[in-house]
Amino acid sequence: MSLLELDGVGKRYGRLDRRTVLRDVSLAVESGEVVVIWGARRSGRSTLLRVAAGIETPDSGTARFEGRDLRARPGATLGEGIGYCHRAFAAREGSPLLDQLTSGLIARGVPLTTASRRASESLERVEIGAWARCRPEELDGGEAVRAAIARALTHSPRLLIIDEPTIDVDVLARDGVLALLHSLAQEGVAVLATTGESTSLSGARALTLSEGELHGPPARELAEVVALMPTG
Amino acid sequence: MQSAVHWALLGLVIERPSYGYELAQRFEQSYEGMLELSGFSYIYTALDTLRCRGLVEEIPGMGSERQPKLGYRATAEGVRDYQQRLIAQMREDFRRSRLFARQLAVLAGEPELALDVIESYGQACLEEAGDALLPDVEDVCADRGSGLAERLVSQERRLAMEARLPWVDYARREFKALAADRLQPQ
Repeated sequence: MSLLELDGVGKRYGRLDRRTVLRDVSLAVESGEVVVIWGARRSGRSTLLRVAAGIETPDSGTARFEGRDLRARPGATLGEGIGYCHRAFAAREGSPLLDQLTSGLIARGVPLTTASRRASESLERVEIGAWARCRPEELDGGEAVRAAIARALTHSPRLLIIDEPTIDVDVLARDGVLALLHSLAQEGVAVLATTGESTSLSGARALTLSEGELHGPPARELAEVVALMPTG
Repeated sequence: MQSAVHWALLGLVIERPSYGYELAQRFEQSYEGMLELSGFSYIYTALDTLRCRGLVEEIPGMGSERQPKLGYRATAEGVRDYQQRLIAQMREDFRRSRLFARQLAVLAGEPELALDVIESYGQACLEEAGDALLPDVEDVCADRGSGLAERLVSQERRLAMEARLPWVDYARREFKALAADRLQPQ
């Protein structure tokens, strides 16, 4: 059983034209791997992530996280196993970063001191601990992405889903964001991301999405099993 | 001189004067997965060819005093020819890309065949993009000269796909449309 399994997922939008956004998409993501899906605009990449996060339900096929059908509890796994990062750090203007991360945890019933500690640790983990008292509008593109990842990390996700992590990031800072995602994978977190830039595919299992169809290896290739003893 | 191995070997001699065995070792390390030697001894044949063409010259007594070895360094002509070869090679790469696109277009009457080719090409692009390593930023800060070849190769692999992946996407759409047209009743 894979951590995330999409099996024959189809998705359509629109009442009249019923535009097909995803066609028979199958994908398996394992713990500790980075999977990056390249796609042009309107290829369906963001929809694919929302279905994988359980935010949207597929019209056909199934999306399972840890074996459970995400359709059964839409959105319920967000913050409980799945961390979803929006392209931009949607923030309440004026509140310092640390307060925003802390209040998100308090809203889920975490005690104040624990929430504050976890928020600080998350900011440190993504290397913006020094910006804890900054307001979100004071962050540059790379820092804002790190803040979004930090917010997801406060819930200790086993799967981190992130939409175009490098799109608004300065060219020189992009590799730092990618290195952060790979380091999270080394700690066991599965990372599923989309991109419109080929450079973001480095070191990842890379796939492309074209007109809603996924191309590339749908599952991680496992090493061939070699028998230590002669069989038969 | 057509042999890619000869030019690659000349490049190593330009990078640093060296003797035969060391060059064979550096060749394997530097061009692993890109070029292959038929055997270590081929290095001496190739060095002799480069020497006869005046691209390298011998340096007697290289290595330790106890075991002096015959070394090689590049001549000025060798450096100039190598530079010209790099420029010509780049143009050859462009020509190959155009040739591939032209040859694919021949399959307009068999779009399903073309789509299979595009699928394989796209897969190769994804592997190339995914296998390229992220450059180590700390290494660059510490010493810009160290690991330069690895960084240049890595970035070339990563950035080359910036054009190829959208091209695969585009070609797939073209041939899918052709395939759909064939399914339409006349």
